Amino acid sequence: MNGRRRFVVAGARAAGVALLAGVPGLQAAPAQAACGRVVALAFASSLRTLFKASADAVYRSGDGGRNWALVALPPATVSRTLTSIALSAGGKGALYVAGLGLGVVRSDDGGRHWSARTKGLPGNDVAALATHADRPGTVYAYLAGHGIFRSEDGGRRWRLMDAGPRGGITRLVHSNMPGSMQSGWLFAAAPQGVQRSMDCFCGWHDAGELGRTVRAVAYDPRQPRTVYAATDAGLFSSTDGGEKWSPSNAPGASVEALAVAPDGALYAGGAEGSVFRRNGDATAWERINA
Amino acid sequence: MRRLALCCGFAVAAATASAGDAPRMDAGRRIYAAQCAACHGARGEGQPAWDRPDAAGELPAPPHDRQGHTWKHSDAMLYRIVKNGWRDPFNKTQRLTMPGFGRALSPQEMRDVIEYLKTMWTPEQKAFQKQESRHAPFPPEAR
Repeated sequence: MNGRRRFVVAGARAAGVALLAGVPGLQAAPAQAACGRVVALAFASSLRTLFKASADAVYRSGDGGRNWALVALPPATVSRTLTSIALSAGGKGALYVAGLGLGVVRSDDGGRHWSARTKGLPGNDVAALATHADRPGTVYAYLAGHGIFRSEDGGRRWRLMDAGPRGGITRLVHSNMPGSMQSGWLFAAAPQGVQRSMDCFCGWHDAGELGRTVRAVAYDPRQPRTVYAATDAGLFSSTDGGEKWSPSNAPGASVEALAVAPDGALYAGGAEGSVFRRNGDATAWERINA
Repeated sequence: MRRLALCCGFAVAAATASAGDAPRMDAGRRIYAAQCAACHGARGEGQPAWDRPDAAGELPAPPHDRQGHTWKHSDAMLYRIVKNGWRDPFNKTQRLTMPGFGRALSPQEMRDVIEYLKTMWTPEQKAFQKQESRHAPFPPEAR
């Protein structure tokens, strides 16, 4: 029995299983489930649900991260490594999961059923994915060596938009920060810092002078000029759209994923499935799944 | 080589333009030469190092030819930028990145110059831009 199966069986014994019985795609899991390094976080405001992904699994929590349920993904036919999870804008909140070897899959029912949304992409190795801040049908996918593709119909069709910034992308987020020629901005976590482009793809530019590897990037939907970057030297924040960065207190663990809830709470994911939350710059981090 | 590529682009565009477009294309070419070429270059080649901020912290005028990104924008967006201008919010000065021409040019003239820009693109770029414009065409005032 591998670790994943042990985890599922253990989860089936958890008290929360009764609530989930009979729901395909969801399996209860204890808070201390064997989740690996958190590579992505996403908050579904319509469902009041927090999602986290490790390299091989997706979990959901409806209680602010204290308890997690495994979200069953489509069966793997080849080796795959998850890289991104994202929720579409608007009430329905379609859930997208992307990864190397996985391509893009979408669920419209919180992870019970999935459909592949890779048609039109040049391969299944999606290194980063983001949903548009305001437009429910618009999704962006980055494939290393190919560039950034955009879909405006929920992933049914994709168009190559841009080669992406030099050096590649590890995370991608779309923001409705004002000032764009089109409808918003894309922020990319990249080896040389945060990269920024209007979503008309008029060119990528350094967002400030972080000058170091960025592992995750997120923005505050209440104040879109507020941007967070997790780097190899800690957490940084900007209140001017990424022009100037200041060190920000970080949870002790290395941060690999960031997400901001609609209320402005910042979530950070790190090693061994750990998820932390803080409600403002001045407040302390709380490990919410401890 | 780049000049050769541009010449080829013009040849393809000229071959695909209908005879009825010629007067408007001529008008667009004249307007471009008078209003746009000083910044964007006589052949739409843009300013040197246009892809990064200059010493003043402003973005130089980008190319409109196939080397640039103008072809990624819908007719509606191009018209809006030509008419109203635009300031990059990260400019280090308060000057507009692109001045507006809504007072200097009529709606038809602004459309003509945008149609002229399209002669600088590859067929693939023109097809892309046409697709982008399906749901974002020129506004009624310019049709």
